[in-house]
Amino acid sequence: MIERMELFRAVAEQRTNEIVVMTMTATLQWPLVSESDLDFDFLAFGMGHAADFGLGLAIARPERKTIVWKGDGGMLMSLGSLVTLAKYAPENLVVFLLENRSYEMVGGQELPPRADFIELARASGFEGGGASSKGKVERIDSFEAFQEALPRILTEAGPHFIVLPVTNREKLPPVNHSDHAGRIQTLRKALNVSE
Amino acid sequence: MSEKGASAKKTVQKLHELGFTHVLMIPDSESRLLYEALENDPKIDLITPCREGESVAIATGLWTGGLKPLLVIQNTGLMEAGDSLRGCGVGPNVPLRMMVGWRGYGGAMAGKLPIDSAYTYTEPLLGAWKIPTWRLMSDDDLGTLKMMDQTAAETSYPAAVITGYGFKP
Repeated sequence: MIERMELFRAVAEQRTNEIVVMTMTATLQWPLVSESDLDFDFLAFGMGHAADFGLGLAIARPERKTIVWKGDGGMLMSLGSLVTLAKYAPENLVVFLLENRSYEMVGGQELPPRADFIELARASGFEGGGASSKGKVERIDSFEAFQEALPRILTEAGPHFIVLPVTNREKLPPVNHSDHAGRIQTLRKALNVSE
Repeated sequence: MSEKGASAKKTVQKLHELGFTHVLMIPDSESRLLYEALENDPKIDLITPCREGESVAIATGLWTGGLKPLLVIQNTGLMEAGDSLRGCGVGPNVPLRMMVGWRGYGGAMAGKLPIDSAYTYTEPLLGAWKIPTWRLMSDDDLGTLKMMDQTAAETSYPAAVITGYGFKP
């Protein structure tokens, strides 16, 4: 198991011009390590749809990578997204699936124990599929292995779907419902987009 | 007055004029001809997600990144996508342009029973979200696409045309 905040710190340190997207629990901790206009931490976004939003961004902004921090509970809420991600498969999309096997934010209730996200991604056609034919599905089980893989993940063509078994020892900050419209406008401004 | 249903070809021409870059839609019986008209369109990329909640979130991502998507969504899919529309469009003030297929409209207008509940709840649902709507029922109404587009841009909020009779070639 990997401590989630260690993952966040590692990505925040190595990240350069990537867009970083997340919803739900990750929105509570990512802002502790990153303060960038290219961050999109939006708790009250459409539930389960962070990767879909990331897909749209990745298609729109091929000049940079879009990184999605996604919970496994959220993945189950929109499992069909895996098929859509695999079909369109932009090379610049990285989905980090934070696998804690629970609905952490609402009390830690267990996820279906036999659901295998690696196999689901592969069965959806993610690996070697899509427009790029470069889709990769990986499971990384230790922080050391993650540190070693991260420079490659941030530079090589994807898309990447990476399952990371995580735990969290740190106390979660209180829920902060950020300015939803402002979050999107800030990101658009950082991307030099105007209506 | 034109015959019922808008021309798919003329609708696509309008979408070109308005600068849409992507259409997100899941095929349904009423929008089938529009889907076919867009399938190999050189100017507009067609994205077909698995469920409409995905469509809304992908469209929001495309718009945030500077592109101009249109959501073509049947009323049944709109109902399924409720939380996504709330969280990705209505809540954060994203000007999502939508074309909502009004399943059940034709039957209801013809007095056929039973009334499709998808017909019954379509306008009240959009009204509850305060999403402005225009009816696109024939070629005479193709100008509503521009009105919908402009309103979404001016208000930075979702706007929709509703298609009651589907499409003709």
